This record gives sequence, C-alpha cells and structure tokens, in this order.
Amino acid sequence: MSADRENHDMTHKDIALLLADAADEVEIGIAPYQAVIRGGRRRRARRLAVAAATALVLCGSTGATLALAGLPGGDGDRVAPVATRPTAPVSPEERHVYAPQRTTLATGTDQGRTWQVYIDVWGVPRDESEARRQLDAMRAVEEEPTVRQAADLVGKTSYFVGRSIGGKSLVITFDTVKKMDPVKDGFEAESAPLEPGAAGPERLVVGRVGKGAREVMCKWQDGTTSVARKAFDASDDTRGQGVIRPAAGTPVNWFVCLAPSETGFESAEVVK
Amino acid sequence: MGDRKQARDTEFQSFVIGRWPRLMRTAFLLTGEQHAAEDLVQSTLEQVYVAWRKIGSADDPEAYVRRVMINAHARRHRRRLKEFLAPRDDSGLVREVADTGDRIAQADDRSALLKALAQLPPRQREAVVLRYWEDLTETQTAEAMGCSVGTVKSNAAKGIAKLRAIPGLAEMVSEGGRR
Repeated sequence: MSADRENHDMTHKDIALLLADAADEVEIGIAPYQAVIRGGRRRRARRLAVAAATALVLCGSTGATLALAGLPGGDGDRVAPVATRPTAPVSPEERHVYAPQRTTLATGTDQGRTWQVYIDVWGVPRDESEARRQLDAMRAVEEEPTVRQAADLVGKTSYFVGRSIGGKSLVITFDTVKKMDPVKDGFEAESAPLEPGAAGPERLVVGRVGKGAREVMCKWQDGTTSVARKAFDASDDTRGQGVIRPAAGTPVNWFVCLAPSETGFESAEVVK
Repeated sequence: MGDRKQARDTEFQSFVIGRWPRLMRTAFLLTGEQHAAEDLVQSTLEQVYVAWRKIGSADDPEAYVRRVMINAHARRHRRRLKEFLAPRDDSGLVREVADTGDRIAQADDRSALLKALAQLPPRQREAVVLRYWEDLTETQTAEAMGCSVGTVKSNAAKGIAKLRAIPGLAEMVSEGGRR
C-alpha cells in the first residue's frame, strides 16, 4: 500500500465509508452482456470500416480553419485521382509493407497552433518475415497494432488515424483487418479532443462515408452545425469548410470536423 | 483463429460479469442516477470490448476501464450538466429519496451524500470517487483522469472540503458513517 493511500485512509476513512454506503443504493441487476456485445460489435464495425474506408471530412466549424493537404491516392473514385497505388505491386516496399501510405486528411489552425489529421495505411505482409519487419517499422513510429505477435499481421492491412498538434501526435483510432469493408450506407465516426491526452471537449471528429455521400452534417453540443462537402478534385482546398475526401489504400471516403472551442461532438449524419 | 476468438469472448464475458457490480457502484456515485449509471457502464464496456484483444492481455485492464469510464463520464457530463444537477421532481433518485419524509435515516444520509456529490464539479467528483470509493492512489487516479497528480490532489481536496462543509453531511461524518 502506498504512502498516499495510507494517508487518505487515515484522514478520510469516514468519507470512504459514506461513499460505500451511498454506492449500495444502486440496483446492480444482471450484467447486460449480450447488449454490451451488440453495442461493442457496432462500434468495432465502425472502426473496421473506418480503417477500410478512405475518406475523411474536415468540417471547419465557426472560426475553425481547415485545409487539406496532399492526397496520395484513392481507390478509383472519380473525385480524386489514384496517385500512389501501383498497378501490380510486387515487392514489400511497393506494397507499402514497411512504410505506410500516409494521407493527410485535414490541417488547420486552432488558437494559433497548426494541427493535422492523417491516416497511415500499412500494406499486407505476405509471410511472417515481412510481418516481423512491418511490426518493427510500426513500433518505430509508435503505431502499435492490436496483435499479440507479428505473425498475426500476415494477410492483413493495418491502419492508424491520428492527429498532431503542438509537436504531439496521438492515434484516434486504429485496427488490423483482413479486408477493409466499403461503407455502403450511412457513415461511422470517432471523436476525440483536439489536444492529444487532453480531457477537454471532443471537438475533433473523424469519420468515413460511402463513396456516394456528398454532404455530412456534424452537429455540436451547443446546437451549431458544420457541413462537410465532397471534394471535386484532389487539389480542392476549401479552407474553413469541411471536405469529404478519399485516402490512399482505403475503399471509402473520409471527413474531419472540428467543433468551435468550448463545445464538442454531438452527432453527425449524411445529408446528401 | 476461431478458438482464440471464442476464448477471448469467454474471457470478456467473465470480465463483464465480474466487474459489473463494482462498475455500477462507481458509475452511480459519478452520475447520481440509476439509469445514467447503467448507460455509463454499458457504454464503457462496449468500448472495452472493441479493444479487448489489447486490454485483455494488459497488465492492468482495470486501469484502462477506469480511464474509459471517466472519459465517458466527463463527456456525458458536459452534455447533460444541467440535467444531472437540476432538482428532480419525478424519477430522479436523489430527489425521490429526499422527498420521502418517513424514509429511514440511512436513506437520508445516502441522499444527502449523493446530492452533495452531484453538486461537485465533475472533476472534483471524479477525484473524490476514485480516491475514496475506488481507493486508488493519487497516481492511479491521475492516470484514470488523464491529468497530473497535482490536479488530482487539488480536485480531491476541494471536493472533500465541500462535502465536509455540508451541514447534514458533517453530522454523518462525525459519526464515522453509519456502517
């Protein structure tokens, strides 16, 4: 037992007892395991799709300046040209096994600091040797996949969506999957504070939508909204306005929304 | 692959069933309301399920779960601050207990404490609940709240001071609690 625990045990034991007494007021009931599993699978499906998908929208909300940086490629979507995908990649390097395809999904400035949202998509290792080297490469850039051993990467692609601001970077969502499922209907999104590790409002929203989605509306907790619209070409740079774009190595489009300061993500929907 | 997945699911099921009661109690102290507590715990466990492959093999899965729950609570609190803190006229647990004149004294005590907790700012409430109900160290609390140890100390101290300043609670505290 640590010193500080001993200390608080001595001085606030009365409070601890009262809390324990109050906690007994709750009706425990039976753990809703099946409901948890259903909810968890829905969340996982969203994440997998996000990984497999390709687009990120930047919803520049009031005052937020969002700009889109380079788009290394897409998946044949007419909106953005496929710039980096080789026709018949053979070597691990050509398949992006040891270095991911990075697409900058959005950049902007918030309170004088530049931020960026990106997606890294790692190619599929064909054998354990490639997988081991890929795992080392991932760890070197602090992208730790959810596998127990390198062999679990064989035959799978891994993706990491992250944001960086003020010299700090942190992954928002990631996964390792056999196949990235295209998003047929609707969308899926993840939210997080803009500042990595901060406990503030989840202002940053990253999501993926089907190739057919033309507009996504992000709704914030203060009742305001932002709209992300589909880019018409890879160089489309609509600063201050969200854009739906493809990302290299994924079969969907992606959007990024940033809420105004002091508010956070409430919901989002495809409106067109 | 299938066997491994089944093993993970079984492991997760055991985790859910085993931790549910304590998580519910913690969530209840954080939210002050039965249904909000259930929602908070269920939502937390859904997120844990998604990352179970990683969490299940971690040295301290509890720490991750606490972090997820505190983040979820903070997020929900910001969204529903007024809803949680407003006096309740219908089904709110706090008001329900307090309104019943012939409740036993213990229920009054619980009500007073829950009401006092509900009046604390969320970070102070989280610090108090994690430190004095979950019995975490300051370092563990800081990890769960995603802040520094100093911030934990400050929030816990302020929270405790406010609790002790409540007249009804002071009497209870002087008795060392009813149990």
